[in-house]
Amino acid sequence: MKISEQQQGAVMVLKPEGPLVEGVIEEFKQRVLKTLAASMGRFVVDMSAVPFVDSLALEGMMDVSDELSKGGQVLRLCAANKTVREVLELTDLASHFDHFDDANAAVRSFL
Amino acid sequence: MPDAQRQTVSTSPRRRFLMRGESAIASAGLTVMALMVCVMIGSVWWAQRTQRTAVREARERQVNAAAQLLAQSSELLLAEGELTAVRRMVADAARDNHFEICRIVLPDGQILASAQPSESKLRDLPPEWDAHSAPQNNLLASQNQWPLLIPGRGPAVLSISGGDTYVAGPNDLAAGVLAIGSVALFALLVLYRRMRFSMRGLGAVREALSALAGGESQPEALLISADLGPEVQAWNGLIRETERIRRADLAEKAREAVGRRQENKGELEAACDAISQGIILIDDQCRVRYANGAATVFLSSKREALVGGDISKFLQVPDVLADVRAIASGSSRRRSTHDVERREEGSESGPVAGVLRFSVRPVRREDVGSAMITIEDITQQRVAEESRNRFVAQATHELRTPLTNIRLYIETAIDEGEENPATRAKCLNIINGETRRLERIVGEMLSVAEIEAGSFELRYDDVRAESLFEDLKAEFEPQAAEKNISLTFHLPPKFPPMQGDRDKITLAVHNLIANSLKYTPTGGRVDVSVEFSNQQLAIQVKDTGIGISEEEQDKVFDRFYRAKDTRVSKITGTGLGLTLAREVVRLHGGDIHVDSKLDHGSTFTLTIPTQKKAA
Repeated sequence: MKISEQQQGAVMVLKPEGPLVEGVIEEFKQRVLKTLAASMGRFVVDMSAVPFVDSLALEGMMDVSDELSKGGQVLRLCAANKTVREVLELTDLASHFDHFDDANAAVRSFL
Repeated sequence: MPDAQRQTVSTSPRRRFLMRGESAIASAGLTVMALMVCVMIGSVWWAQRTQRTAVREARERQVNAAAQLLAQSSELLLAEGELTAVRRMVADAARDNHFEICRIVLPDGQILASAQPSESKLRDLPPEWDAHSAPQNNLLASQNQWPLLIPGRGPAVLSISGGDTYVAGPNDLAAGVLAIGSVALFALLVLYRRMRFSMRGLGAVREALSALAGGESQPEALLISADLGPEVQAWNGLIRETERIRRADLAEKAREAVGRRQENKGELEAACDAISQGIILIDDQCRVRYANGAATVFLSSKREALVGGDISKFLQVPDVLADVRAIASGSSRRRSTHDVERREEGSESGPVAGVLRFSVRPVRREDVGSAMITIEDITQQRVAEESRNRFVAQATHELRTPLTNIRLYIETAIDEGEENPATRAKCLNIINGETRRLERIVGEMLSVAEIEAGSFELRYDDVRAESLFEDLKAEFEPQAAEKNISLTFHLPPKFPPMQGDRDKITLAVHNLIANSLKYTPTGGRVDVSVEFSNQQLAIQVKDTGIGISEEEQDKVFDRFYRAKDTRVSKITGTGLGLTLAREVVRLHGGDIHVDSKLDHGSTFTLTIPTQKKAA
């Protein structure tokens, strides 16, 4: 799975490209956890190129959220499409993540 | 998602997919019908053939039996000389058996008796005749013949032919079969249409099942148009129910996962762990009594190892440790704050990974000393602050230059203006130019503020591009001449009508040309080319300036970014010009890119649609 990185100030913006489903979720999770450790949680996941997620992806995102919450932080998502947001709402998981309209707004939230 | 919406989603590609299946059913049906028609025609032909054979054989048997009977009877009667009786018997036999020809012929060709009385010319039976007389071939040809031997008189021949008994003819049979076949075909057609209607739904379901087996899991792609019948409606219901169950299962799993994560945690501990600042409580022996989750992250340690351990094992910041020891021992109650740059793991002098703010506070306890450390990640604030400071410094520098010029020329105008009108006019002209420069700088800053706030927008109107470039030409030619730079505008003879925000397009192009002039040394060259094609305005600004290194080409459009080249730092600039240019161009639906080589110059290419795109 292609995951591009862009540094905006002190914040790393991770942009996975493609559906977050079984087969790629472990790679995504490990990459995010690695970024988490390197940046002390100063990162954002740009979901603009993720068409949909499955239950394993939700589990993986919850694992990352869990890891972040150990440091009192929350997983910041941005630009998620309607399908992904709907899944998060339906599964009552939306409240476990911070969602922003775009990467700039998410990066500004670290100020 | 509402059902109606799902329906819309499912119809277009799926419909085409299903139509292939339907046409397959239709083709199969037509093939079966064609096959049945062929079978019917074949059956008719075979039945006709069989019937003809049977009729012919039956007729032959009938004729043979009648002829033998007639021959034996005729021999006996003719032997007795009963010619009249024979003739009556021949006529009766011909009538009863439908013979066209039935005659007894003598060897010399004379007809002794016949079904047609007029053919028999002999009045009496001859007493004897020549046995070797040849029969007349014309009479015997194509007739079935039976030889007679009349005792005491001589041989003769019984000839019989024609007069077939009426049987249903081949045409009647074919017509009958075809009539029955047509009715059967019509019934089959009606049946086929009914089957086809019901098969469309089944075919669609079969196609959807194939798609499902092929890995398609999106319910929207598996739903089928409901007007294909009750089977399809049942299928759609099944898919929706499956999706509902899947989502419910997903939600349940998620709730379970959340539940697992939240269990076994006290309220206070959970509250402390929800804080993004690290909190560490230190006892009088400098041991960690409590650390929240954020603290374990900042100190890269596990809570089990941290709690009870000496703080100096986990925190290697001498200033912070000294303050902690002082407060823990009770020798000091002074609060202190330290901003510490954190380097990458295992590196002492590597790049800064972040900035942590350690605040050390005494905790009020009567028996023993105790300290609390709070840790906060201020990296992003520090980066923003540095960026802001850099911008303020640049902006101050940018504002100071025109302001200084204005002040100096106002003083000159006041001192010398009354005596020397030419000097006054020159001063006022320069003051006017510097004021406009100030206005532009302030405008850029405001625009950046609008971009930050998300309120930067365009005011569309008709744009006369030729006038826009004439203004830019008039503005920049004196500057280029002053710096001894060859500035050339390659403009088309005629400009097509264009829509856009004239001021902002001018600002974007202005910034590109101004940059080129700014970073091109004396004696250099700047070419501005304008082309229209495919309803796009393409503006190329090419210079022979200092160029941009490859790694910095992506960054030059970032806000406040200025190239690291020392030649750039000597030239004033806010680092906003290209940011604004790109923002303006993108808002118009175009884009801007740079192609550059260090020390060889840069080419900025800007494209803008000439017409506003429909929303």
